[in-house]
Amino acid sequence: MLTPIETERQVPETPRQLRDDTRFALGRIVVFQYLAVAIFLLLISGFWILQVREHAANDELAERNRVKTVPLLAPRGKMLDRDGRVIVDNHLAWEVRLGRENLKPEHIDAIAAGLHLDPEEIRAKLRRFASRPSYVPITIKQELTPGELAFVEAHRDAQTFPELELIQHEGRLYPRNGLAAHVIGYVGEVSEQELDSPEFAKYSQGDMVGKFGLERQYNDTLIGIDGQKRVVVDSLGRERQVLDDVEPTPGHNLQLTLDLDLQAVAELGMEGRRGAVVALDPRSGEVLAMVSRPAFDPNLFATRIRADDWKNLTSDPGNPLLNRAIQAQLAPGSTFKPIVALAALESGAIDENYTVRCGGSAVWYGRVFKCWVKGAHGPMNVHTGLVHSCDVYFYNIGNKTGIDTIAEYAEMAGYGHKTGIDLPGEAEGVVPSTKWKLRNFREKWYAGETISVAIGQGALTVTPLQLAYAIGGLAMHGVWYRPHLVKGEDPGPPRRANLNPANVDRVLDGMYGVVNEAGGTGVSAAIPGIPICGKTGSAQRISNQLAKSVKATKEMKDNSWFVAFAPRQNPEIVVAVLWENAEHGNLSAPIARDVIKAYFDKKARQTMPKTQQMALFVH
Amino acid sequence: MEYLLNRYRTLSVLLLAILAQLVLLAYQVKSNGEVRLIRVWAVTAVTPLARAIESTRGAVSRFFSDYFVLLDVREENKRLKKELDRVNMDNQYLRSELDTADRAKSLAIFQSRSPSKTIAAHIIGNTTGSGAKTVIVDRGSASGVQKEMAVITPDGIVGKVVDVYPTASFVLLATDPSFAAGVISQKNRVHGTLKGQGGTKVIVDYVQNEENVEPGEWFYTSGDDGIFPKGLPAGEVTSVHPGKSKKEIILSPSGFQNGLEEVLIIIEGVHAPIPELPAPHQQIHVQPPPPPETSSAQPGGASGPPAATAPPAVPLSDADRILDRYRQLGIAEKHEWGVRGRGAPDFNLPLDAAKPAEAPKPKQNQ
Repeated sequence: MLTPIETERQVPETPRQLRDDTRFALGRIVVFQYLAVAIFLLLISGFWILQVREHAANDELAERNRVKTVPLLAPRGKMLDRDGRVIVDNHLAWEVRLGRENLKPEHIDAIAAGLHLDPEEIRAKLRRFASRPSYVPITIKQELTPGELAFVEAHRDAQTFPELELIQHEGRLYPRNGLAAHVIGYVGEVSEQELDSPEFAKYSQGDMVGKFGLERQYNDTLIGIDGQKRVVVDSLGRERQVLDDVEPTPGHNLQLTLDLDLQAVAELGMEGRRGAVVALDPRSGEVLAMVSRPAFDPNLFATRIRADDWKNLTSDPGNPLLNRAIQAQLAPGSTFKPIVALAALESGAIDENYTVRCGGSAVWYGRVFKCWVKGAHGPMNVHTGLVHSCDVYFYNIGNKTGIDTIAEYAEMAGYGHKTGIDLPGEAEGVVPSTKWKLRNFREKWYAGETISVAIGQGALTVTPLQLAYAIGGLAMHGVWYRPHLVKGEDPGPPRRANLNPANVDRVLDGMYGVVNEAGGTGVSAAIPGIPICGKTGSAQRISNQLAKSVKATKEMKDNSWFVAFAPRQNPEIVVAVLWENAEHGNLSAPIARDVIKAYFDKKARQTMPKTQQMALFVH
Repeated sequence: MEYLLNRYRTLSVLLLAILAQLVLLAYQVKSNGEVRLIRVWAVTAVTPLARAIESTRGAVSRFFSDYFVLLDVREENKRLKKELDRVNMDNQYLRSELDTADRAKSLAIFQSRSPSKTIAAHIIGNTTGSGAKTVIVDRGSASGVQKEMAVITPDGIVGKVVDVYPTASFVLLATDPSFAAGVISQKNRVHGTLKGQGGTKVIVDYVQNEENVEPGEWFYTSGDDGIFPKGLPAGEVTSVHPGKSKKEIILSPSGFQNGLEEVLIIIEGVHAPIPELPAPHQQIHVQPPPPPETSSAQPGGASGPPAATAPPAVPLSDADRILDRYRQLGIAEKHEWGVRGRGAPDFNLPLDAAKPAEAPKPKQNQ
């Protein structure tokens, strides 16, 4: 401890003494300490500025050089009707992808909860695509709801769920109420099995491809070419700069032959019923309307169909996924009689004067075959036989003609073969013959079986499209154009049959009488001023014996068929209607009548001034 | 070595401190953890200082504020003394209103009435960045705050917690360009996503052009985002325009309109229904007494009765419209589709020419 006296006594004189002086040393230390404190304060303030005040800015600068490739998804082409009206449209939609480079497994549960997904599904998807490069994101949900969009937007920052990527695309917008659902079909995410097949090799996970109907048939036309842009993004995923971009190429629009006016009327006619309607232009093969009911909502498939929706569709006893217009293979009943009459006339088995007396039933090969009428029709020729749809008359001429001749003319009309319509999954139907039975059952044909086939029963099955196609070609005196759904498509040369016009006219006259003569079975299809020809059909689903032995349920009741064309000369439209379990053929006739009326009313409308047309209808 | 350390002890300590900082910086750079230790230390060390400064500033501010208020009151009292009964009544009323106007008190009232569990927090600082809008509040993990919690005021939503430290949290404001929240319109129940723009206004995104949103309409939180419980005011529509593919909706955020000093952090959110009434007035504490002559003024500035909730607009294709047209035609002509007896309808009949009849019972669509 220094005292003042000692201090005073030891006043330094030289620099060396000055350095050794303890007071000087103490002063230096104090200065140094203040300096150290100042430096620390400076450092702390520096930390505050760097780590707190300017943290966001520094973070941004650090992350600013991230370059990301953002896909620009191409919209699919629209589907238009023959007048250019939109049937299938697109709408703005969003999908969310999982960037696996930034993925943290512990985030999956929270992400799944926010997007209403099953977390196990996401994990399974990640496992399935584990072999793919990690920079390829995985689509986990399409067509986000507004709420899900809000969830993704609120959490896709670098601090929360950086793995979430939001991609804009054009979602499919299908008509409601299942209108033309089986024709237009639906799209869906390409499946893993499809990705492994060569047909889908060019697609990637998450791509939307046609799965059903025209969407599938014309997938390559409708699908566009995706573009992409390379952008610089910050740490929050916000775009800062677009480096380059390749614009997407939209898919081509598809103009269909469908007429929305006729389609709407046919849809309304089948509402609440089970069956199908097909309307064709027999002059070209253009499909004007095609309805199958019950239908499904294709919008359910526009994204990924929910498991319970899929279960409901597949377990529905009405089988709504079946396109009855081209896939329902059912006995045509009496709608087959014009073909049998033609075969009999053309083959010379009968002439126009051939008459049979209907007593209400007839015995063939030891078995009683009844006519549909209670009582008897009396004497019947080819005209009255068709007008009254007399079964006994057709038992006779069928027996005289023989199964192979009937089969020959049935196949000539298009039965037993695909029509070649541009829809996937068309059924062929069955035209029985001696060869057919030998080939399929290794059994000989029994003459008694011909009796059933002559009235459109037995092993004979057709689709509603085949019925419209066959009768349309017959109405054209033996010219069959391939049915098709895309406007402007070349259907190829028509099939032509060398038929005796007089014989064809006899059959067509009979069909005219069905609708327009007293006692005709299809008079409810008559429209004043429009010469309509038609034929009713009631096709048994079970034998009469079985029907007697068990209490028939609704599903066992006869199917109702009706086929019609108009006008009688130079036909422009042919309509086939199948109404399952309606029991009587004439019940389907008003459905066809309304479609034909809509066709001719529209034709009349088109002669009106444009302003009047606009005032009347939606264009 | 020991000599050197002793001789240059202060310098050595300084060098060690700097070395330690460098090590920590290196740790920070290398670490992949979300919480940076050095930031935690920095924030924790500085928060008390910031809080002290903020408290001092607040105290000084309140002192001067009170001083001038007292001056005003004194002058007011001088004047009021000359006006006996009416003035006394007015004075009582104004005092009552001033009490209500106290922001902390209104916050507490709101907090007690809110179904959600909240804690009050003071804003003690803000951060900067290019477009970033973040504030620091004096509540952290020690108070139960967690990342992604909602931050509100009685007036509406403010933002969300993006970083949490023991004694403080960072709140990303709703005006920040990276902020997003699910919202729903009060009148037409249109869902959308509220997004910050970096300025004073926010937008509502992802609303289709077909949806109906009107200027003056209020948006509330929809609860879709997993951050904000449903039913909190988000803002009022100031402009709506149809865009190329979706509506362009600009919103005036309501949570900031009375300044930001105290906020509430929602610890446990409870969804509430969207009010059917016009938006609650956000300035209840300064609500003037209604003039006796007018009776149409509505709290909140909104006018008219609450509208019925409209269904969301869904785009229709031509196919849907044509089907509806034929259906209407059938009803107008009393036509039963596919049924015998009545004949085919006249499809060229103008719809308005036939009086709409009672629709037949629709058949079950199979």
